[in-house]
Amino acid sequence: MFAYALRRLLFAIPTLLVISFIIFALLDLSPGDPTANLPLTIPAEVREQIRISLGLGEPFHIRYVKWLEQFFVNEPLHLIEQATGWSFGEGQRMRVISWQTRSPVTDLILERLPQTLWVVGLSYLVGILIAIPIGVISAYRQYSWFDQFGTLFSMIGFSAPTFFTGLLFIVIFSVWLGWLPSIYDTNLRVTNAQTLWLQIRQMIMPVMVLALFNAAQLSRFMRASMLDNLGQEYVRTARAKGLRERAVILIHVLRNSLIPVVTVIALGIPTIFGGAIITEQIFRVNGIGQLLITGIQGADIPLVQTLTFMFAVLIVLFNLVADLLYGMLDPRIRYE
Amino acid sequence: MTLRHMLTGAAALALLAPAAHAERGSDGQVNVLYWQAVSIMTPYLSSGTKDLEAASLVLEPLARFGPDGQLVPYLAEDIPTLENGGISEDLTTITWKLKEGILWSDGTPVTADDAVFTWQYCTDPDGGCAQLPNFGDVASVEAVDPQTIKVTFSVPKPYPYGPLVGAQSPLIQKAQFANCLGVAAPTCTEANTKPIGTGPFVVDDFKANDVVVLSANPNFRDPEKPAFANMVLKGGGDAASAARSVLETGEFDYAWNAQVEPEILTAMEAAGKGKVVSAFGTLVERIQVNQTDPDPALGEERSTVKHPHPILTDENVVKALSLAIDRAILIETGYGAAGQMTCNLVPAPEYNASTNNDWCKTRDVDQANKLLDEAGWMMGSDGVREKDGKRLSLLFQSSTNSVRQAAQALIKQDWAQIGVETELRNIDGGVFFGGDPGSPDTFQKFFADVEMYANNFDGTDPEKYLGDWVCSQAPSIENQWQGNNTSRMCNPDYDALHAELGKTAGQDARAKIAIELNDMIVNSPSFIPLVHRGRVSTKSNALGGVIMNPWDSELWNAADWYREKS
Amino acid sequence: MSDAATPLPRAAEPLLRVEGLKMHFPIYKGVLRRRAGAVKAVDDITFSVAEGETLGLVGESGCGKSTAGRAILRLYEPTAGAIVLEGRDIAHLEGDALRTLRPKMQMIFQDPQASLNPRMTVGSIIAEPLDEHTRQSRAARRARVTELMDAVGLNRTFVNRYPHEFSGGQRQRIGIARALALNPKFIVCDEPIAALDVSIQAQVVNLLEDLQQQLGLTYLFISHDLSMVRHLATRVAVMYLGKLVEIAARETLYDRPAHPYTQALISAVPSPNPEIEAKRRRIVLKGDVPSPSNPPPGCAFSTRCPRVFDRCRIETPPLYDLGGGHRAACFLAEPAARAA
Repeated sequence: MFAYALRRLLFAIPTLLVISFIIFALLDLSPGDPTANLPLTIPAEVREQIRISLGLGEPFHIRYVKWLEQFFVNEPLHLIEQATGWSFGEGQRMRVISWQTRSPVTDLILERLPQTLWVVGLSYLVGILIAIPIGVISAYRQYSWFDQFGTLFSMIGFSAPTFFTGLLFIVIFSVWLGWLPSIYDTNLRVTNAQTLWLQIRQMIMPVMVLALFNAAQLSRFMRASMLDNLGQEYVRTARAKGLRERAVILIHVLRNSLIPVVTVIALGIPTIFGGAIITEQIFRVNGIGQLLITGIQGADIPLVQTLTFMFAVLIVLFNLVADLLYGMLDPRIRYE
Repeated sequence: MTLRHMLTGAAALALLAPAAHAERGSDGQVNVLYWQAVSIMTPYLSSGTKDLEAASLVLEPLARFGPDGQLVPYLAEDIPTLENGGISEDLTTITWKLKEGILWSDGTPVTADDAVFTWQYCTDPDGGCAQLPNFGDVASVEAVDPQTIKVTFSVPKPYPYGPLVGAQSPLIQKAQFANCLGVAAPTCTEANTKPIGTGPFVVDDFKANDVVVLSANPNFRDPEKPAFANMVLKGGGDAASAARSVLETGEFDYAWNAQVEPEILTAMEAAGKGKVVSAFGTLVERIQVNQTDPDPALGEERSTVKHPHPILTDENVVKALSLAIDRAILIETGYGAAGQMTCNLVPAPEYNASTNNDWCKTRDVDQANKLLDEAGWMMGSDGVREKDGKRLSLLFQSSTNSVRQAAQALIKQDWAQIGVETELRNIDGGVFFGGDPGSPDTFQKFFADVEMYANNFDGTDPEKYLGDWVCSQAPSIENQWQGNNTSRMCNPDYDALHAELGKTAGQDARAKIAIELNDMIVNSPSFIPLVHRGRVSTKSNALGGVIMNPWDSELWNAADWYREKS
Repeated sequence: MSDAATPLPRAAEPLLRVEGLKMHFPIYKGVLRRRAGAVKAVDDITFSVAEGETLGLVGESGCGKSTAGRAILRLYEPTAGAIVLEGRDIAHLEGDALRTLRPKMQMIFQDPQASLNPRMTVGSIIAEPLDEHTRQSRAARRARVTELMDAVGLNRTFVNRYPHEFSGGQRQRIGIARALALNPKFIVCDEPIAALDVSIQAQVVNLLEDLQQQLGLTYLFISHDLSMVRHLATRVAVMYLGKLVEIAARETLYDRPAHPYTQALISAVPSPNPEIEAKRRRIVLKGDVPSPSNPPPGCAFSTRCPRVFDRCRIETPPLYDLGGGHRAACFLAEPAARAA
């Protein structure tokens, strides 16, 4: 397994390099211009100076190599220096700098990560916690009222876009009832029971909006997988052994049904880091998703490039994790 | 501008400010929402309005523009004029005196050296300073003494209030930015996000594109202000939900830029928690009329002055097009409180606005039809006018934006009523305004007959803005399609009069010429005014002291804001 | 159930008695999923199994023999009828009452691969019923597992392996060990060798026979393989389309089949005796088995019977007693018909 993982990681390197090049080329070819959103009152000469100060005066391949150096050499070195207090070499190393904010991209990402992980990550977790029981019960009582309701729920959850459910939640819970804040306070520090309560209150709506969406998908998946296993012979064997029904479902059916679901969950984890652009915008969670969208709107190429590439890394990584998990959970699969 | 003018302006402002019932920091926290989140606190590295306005809480210029467009001294003792000798007779120097005893928020005194440094910072060729135009033609900035700043121009400047005036060019502290010149400018993250300033607030915490936390500046020159101890400047989301958080949920005290469909905004306002506030600057949504022929058959020479437009150089045709537009509907459907009628290119400030062109305000289809008949365009069998076998058919382009597309559709209907066929087209804003000479779709290349967009100018003086309409500003292959005279209007009389403006000093005299220039454009076939657009923001009923200001930062008087006692 | 309904003239109460067992599966149709009918997988069968004997249950695939086996072990809830195990009707027991009965009756499944949980080791598969039904110490349990593995001829060092690491025959041994874990009296063998290679089949059958002798087990041996049944069973029952068509002692059934369907089945079995084999005349049945959701009127076999006559298409023949425990559901076996 270890050798397999190592081999996969080695193969990932050229893949990721190609991906980084494609992203860079696509962003370069796209018509965005970092000065396009400036007021028309800024004259063309000044725009040109701004472009040159951003490094756009250099040819494409130089800029790409520079980015590679900044991302793969300077940023890791910087991180190590920060963590250990050592210093390598002399002078200032050029880090990946966002054009819009003129601050290092990795600092921005690290600043954004907590709220994204809290809100999007928690919503993923809540989604899983909702989806699994619904999927299990729906499958166990196939075509019952519960199952029909579960189907309706997931259909609504799946087809209602988050910008609709988010807005609906705000109108109901913030405007009409006035129970929950509609705007997320990223500066809130949880220090005592009261601030914890505030944090919970401000997280409920964004977390639930995303959780419902995630749960809708996952519960269907869970249900299908359960149905698949419920019909298996070994379930009948388990019943014939005289096991309690709960043991049959939880020990035999659920554990086997979870294997593909766990894989799907693992494959979905990079999307947590990607944030949830729409939900983050609606509730002003201002995490990674919002960072990406402002970067795109402002043609902040270093930011978009770095973020997109990091998503690519995460996707490649979690594909591997999903494969390895599958191997660990299912004794029939062996990686050599 | 006379001293008397200015003093009355300042006095009026003083009256508007709340009676000194508060002491500094007594009103707790004020929550402000900028849905376009603040990226950076230095106006010199960004010209996004949101960044300029956030910076205005911390960094101050020598003088700001008041809500009426008149200058109000901030760091300066008073406004230099010809009359008070602050401006030299040959119009090449302006000398500012700093107020006594002004301190930076770190407690050090503000000196003329800081002003000199600010000029050096922005004019460093490697810095990519976004506010360079404010320092145009500046030959030098000198510190005559620690309180006196002398700006020398390389040419006579009849309007010398560019450098270090207004939200775009505030003073930065030399001590803090000394190592941030040129290429080092973007690397000074700490200075760029937490600048030391003289304004009512200082930055405590800055999260780029998310939230800025500020607190009252302990060294602010007015010991009673600001009334608020803290300000939170939250970002993100969209305009509609920003307005909702003020008007409906009451979570925020002030939300910037409520670009929301008018009916939605009215419905939100009905909740009674806050108000929509607006102010009208110089932004005019207009149709630029191509005076050159965009026919693709002309190849390289399409849309260049070599080939005059076959239809639209006739002023009667363009006047008919203008008369046929129902501006009231455009405003009602697209702008609401953010729009008002205008027939000018320079609609404000009041002393610069022409009152001669009100004919466009009432729609007159009969008159429009008559003008077209007289111009020889006869109604064809299919409802489209023709002349010499040529159909009166126009290609109408604009940037992609729902309000613009709705307006395009309405105008197409209006024009159909007078027998003008219109083909609509919209182009992504990044491309349309991107200025890429390789793209055929920029507003400067103008490969269409008419195009709609909005433009304005910074500050109150229209000289440079009116300068966009001289012959040499017409985009062409020679200037890489970078000129701003998108209509390619060329009128030697206009050019001569504009040159005259460049030699005339004094607000009243300049206003007279500006109005004349404005009228020449408005009556030419190159321009159809549509809507005078304003800034619309929303404020909570619990927030007092807000005075919308179209000429400077909306937060220009945040020092005067206070909590309304209910 | 009443004694009056007992048709079997037996002195001792048999281990298992099945009376009028029906297993119907409802069919739902349409948008509202109304009940539109039923698949009569098992339709009114009656028989008994004496302690220590092996009853072979044969028939074509789809005839309901596996369903009958599962219904008897209460893996299904029967639609009607009685299942009397050791004098107690278990047909409608539920919950814990049923669960505590499980150790007495077990099943060996057809597909050893599918019937073992792929994520459990052999040890835990075999030990699981012990955990559930006994209060033994860990050590005792482990001892029992190895004992069982020895009994079925599995290497005891394989205890921590997973089912996929074994061959088909070995897996079936795991299944048998699992079934034996709780010392059952009665085992339903549902085609236990059908999925195995021919070379392995004999080993497993021998194992089953050995275990029966050692442990005094009673088998209901479900199979479509008549020669295997002949080898194993003491009595044989034949099913067709959910009904019992004939039941008799092994020799009686193979030598003197009374029902045309049984005759056809037996005619297809090659005989090891060359003389008999030479004389064997195969009866080939025409047509397909009708759908159990829509069985033909009268005798279910009437659509394919080579000796069909009008009455068969109208009336359903009862099981006629031919004496000596031999009974057949055919009008040809009616005492009057035989007399004629």
